[in-house]
Amino acid sequence: MPEIIFKDLVKQYGYVTVLEDLDLKVSDGEFLVLLGPSGCGKTTLLNMLAGLVEVTAGEITIGGKDVTDLDPKDRGLAMVFQSYALYPTKTVEGNLKFGLAAQKLPKDEVTKRVNWAADLLQIQPLMKRKPAELSGGQRQRVAIGRALVKNVEVFLFDEPLSNLDAKLRTEMRLEIKKLHNELKKTIVYVTHDQVEAMTMATSIAIMDQGVIQQFGSPDDVYDNPENLFVAKFIGAPPMNIIAATIAKTGDKIFAAHAASGVSMDLSAYEFTSEPADGDKVYVGMRPEHFVIGDDISGKEAAQFELPVLYAEKPGSDGSAYLDSGDEQIAVRVETAMVKVLQQPDARLKIAFPDDRFSVFDASTERRI
Amino acid sequence: MSNIDISQREFKHYPEKKRKIKGSSIITFIFLAMIAVAVMIPLYVIIVTSFKTLDQITLGRIFDLPTTWTFEGWNKAWSEVCSGMTCNGVKAGFFTSIKILIPSIIISVGLASVTGYALALWKIKWAGGFLFVLFICAFVPFQVIMIPLVLITAKLGIYGTFWAVAIVHGVLSMPFLTLIFRNFYKDIPPELISAAMMDSGSFWRIFGEIILPMSGNIIIVVLILVITGVWNDFLIGLTFGGFGAQPMTVILANTVITGTGAVRYNVDMAAALLTAIPPLLVYFGLGKFFVQGISAGAIKG
Amino acid sequence: MAIRYSWMSPRLALVPAIVITAVAFVGAIGWTLYISFTKSRRFPNYDIYWENFWRQYKRLFNDPNWDTAINNLIFMTIGSALAILFGFILAVLVNKEKTGEGVFRTIYLYPLAVSFIVAGIVWRWMFNPVLGIENFLIELGFENASFNWLADKDTAMWGVIIAIVWHGMGFYLALMLSGLKSINDEIWNAAKLDGISPWKFYTEIVIPMLKFTFLTCAILLSLGVVKTYDIVLAMTGGGPGTSSWTPAYFVVNAYATRGNMGYASSAAFMMLLITLAIFLPLVLLTRWQVKRRAREAV
Repeated sequence: MPEIIFKDLVKQYGYVTVLEDLDLKVSDGEFLVLLGPSGCGKTTLLNMLAGLVEVTAGEITIGGKDVTDLDPKDRGLAMVFQSYALYPTKTVEGNLKFGLAAQKLPKDEVTKRVNWAADLLQIQPLMKRKPAELSGGQRQRVAIGRALVKNVEVFLFDEPLSNLDAKLRTEMRLEIKKLHNELKKTIVYVTHDQVEAMTMATSIAIMDQGVIQQFGSPDDVYDNPENLFVAKFIGAPPMNIIAATIAKTGDKIFAAHAASGVSMDLSAYEFTSEPADGDKVYVGMRPEHFVIGDDISGKEAAQFELPVLYAEKPGSDGSAYLDSGDEQIAVRVETAMVKVLQQPDARLKIAFPDDRFSVFDASTERRI
Repeated sequence: MSNIDISQREFKHYPEKKRKIKGSSIITFIFLAMIAVAVMIPLYVIIVTSFKTLDQITLGRIFDLPTTWTFEGWNKAWSEVCSGMTCNGVKAGFFTSIKILIPSIIISVGLASVTGYALALWKIKWAGGFLFVLFICAFVPFQVIMIPLVLITAKLGIYGTFWAVAIVHGVLSMPFLTLIFRNFYKDIPPELISAAMMDSGSFWRIFGEIILPMSGNIIIVVLILVITGVWNDFLIGLTFGGFGAQPMTVILANTVITGTGAVRYNVDMAAALLTAIPPLLVYFGLGKFFVQGISAGAIKG
Repeated sequence: MAIRYSWMSPRLALVPAIVITAVAFVGAIGWTLYISFTKSRRFPNYDIYWENFWRQYKRLFNDPNWDTAINNLIFMTIGSALAILFGFILAVLVNKEKTGEGVFRTIYLYPLAVSFIVAGIVWRWMFNPVLGIENFLIELGFENASFNWLADKDTAMWGVIIAIVWHGMGFYLALMLSGLKSINDEIWNAAKLDGISPWKFYTEIVIPMLKFTFLTCAILLSLGVVKTYDIVLAMTGGGPGTSSWTPAYFVVNAYATRGNMGYASSAAFMMLLITLAIFLPLVLLTRWQVKRRAREAV
């Protein structure tokens, strides 16, 4: 069974290093999402796995077999492209069959597979149409179908939903997830959309500047971001990051935020390496973890009372943005509160529980 | 795994991978190179022949390099060869061609850019119909309208002067160049024009202050088309230039093709090369635009 | 006031173009048609041959030289189509190989910058039986080499076709290359992943995708052939005899050499009809394509 391993992988274009010493292991049946801003190297990595881009150094193995210098067709992969890349001169049926042409399968096997994929994706009524006569969502299904009929163990997706509108995107997201649950194949999926990553992945590799910043389950990268980049990249609105200074009193550890004068009690935080007195740190707090107004029990690690800059209600939740003195602090609030917070000179009392902090060293920007 | 700033990275060199150079790749390359050589042969032949002495030429061996390089052929071609009764070399034709070229450029570019601009960006109900007529006119062979144009220029009293040749060039290229300009202007974002119309609203001011400054590339493309087209033309020059305004190609043709007396191949080739040099310079100097020009020429409508 | 001003200006600006179109194109075509029914010889004579209205056209269809010209037109169109074929093959190879793409394209395209007169003169020189390529081949040991094509009326047109193919191949290569580059990269990648053989990929995917490019090339080529004059003049002077005449050559000859304006006009008008016959499919095609695009965009 295939397990994909990237070992010391490097990609350079001339004097530009796109990927540097990348190591990554994708277990069998996993749904790996490569997530990152554009230009982070995620698509290059996928194309190297597919064999469409040459490797500068390092090796790629699939199921124990070194495929680094293998032709794309010999790697046992199927791929769904961003623009679908359907063959425009062929009908839907022709597209599904054409990909199998090189495998020289018996005719009834081809028909069987094509029918199976068409049923699974509900594209049976479209079989005689040309790609130009299909809607975006239908093209997407055909593209997935063309990958499915190849009956391989590893599927690659290159931003497959980016050309669809918001509603279709949600639909197809669920559908791809369902396919993965049913077929149990390994999937490597590239996207810049964190919602796709958080909802579909069994594991996420967050990339930036050609380096994997964090690799873990969706919950893991959300709750325990490895560094500042991941903390800021995942979540909308993103995690609040404020600069603070460590102050130790007895066996307690505090982080003092100068601008608001608040001291945050980090004694319950599980440091990997305990900071010294006077160290500069960044303290991260997710907007939805704040305790608000009357719900504050007094046992929280930090309490603020801050002026409201503005409050908004974009959907089922409300957000309030508070002035902490230096940084803005985003807080999730009940929609009912938004009206009150929009009054001039409104202030809000918030507190943060002791088990939800993320703390980063100010100079290395890594989690401590 | 940390957040590394890309600029602080040290660049590591990796040993060049032993690339499998495929056999088919080599064969393809050799094939392409052979075709390239074949395509270059006429240019090579014309150059070496023009530098040979007549004695060497009469030995045959068309591909040999000159044993003694001589400018004799070039000198004679430039200033001595005869076209009909006059023996002033292709030099006279060179200056006539330039005299034709300058008004041709002004007429063609001026006419086509303004027409293309008006048709592309201003709401004129019948613009579509007029474009269709221009589209058809662009494909009418010159011979079909040649005789009436001769009669018209004769009536205007310009027949046999470089003005006739220049004006006919301008007129004949108008439909085609207009389509090129129109297709270029059509892709200008309409918001820009709307904004300009609200600010000034004047047809000519928008053209002069906004459209023309944006037209650099397309004007170069059109200039290349006009320069090579006018310079390489033979029939219009022959028909409208009379004896008084023979462009370079006409002089060349008279010398080489219909010339009488002993054939001097080195002189002929030098004359041909002299005639071909200006458009070749334009081509090798501005090749990128040349390709754009022919693509613009083919994909229209 | 400003609005009125800008309503007038664009229409005024179009006046020169409209006048030119009306006089030099539409008017001149009608004029040519009119002259073809008159007794004009060297100078225009606007008396129509009422007693024998179709005189010039009857003469034209019985003229063996016109027959030759039409036959040559067909022959040349088919022969020059090699330029499209070569252009496509070279475009595929250049596009596939990438190395040296710019250099190859520059070399293949340079003949287009050379005038037909110069091209004809060079090729005539190379076809020279005593001093040209034939002599070179014989010296190499090919005793029976015959490259004196221009002197034989059966091969003269082949000689002209070679020169035309040399001249135009780069043009079709450039068009095909831009066609190939307009095909989405991901389709090439999908084919690579599917392991589709190049032959199958080109015949079943690429060529059908480029069918409009091919048609455009074919129509441009045939329109070019109809107008062919300079290169024939430079290479063969219409000869041997009248064997390499083309319709364009016929018209210029009837007008300038034989001094028969009426006759030349009838042949010129036939040229227009031939052009329209070739051109009509292009118009219909573009219309259809625009409609199809509109449908795809929905």
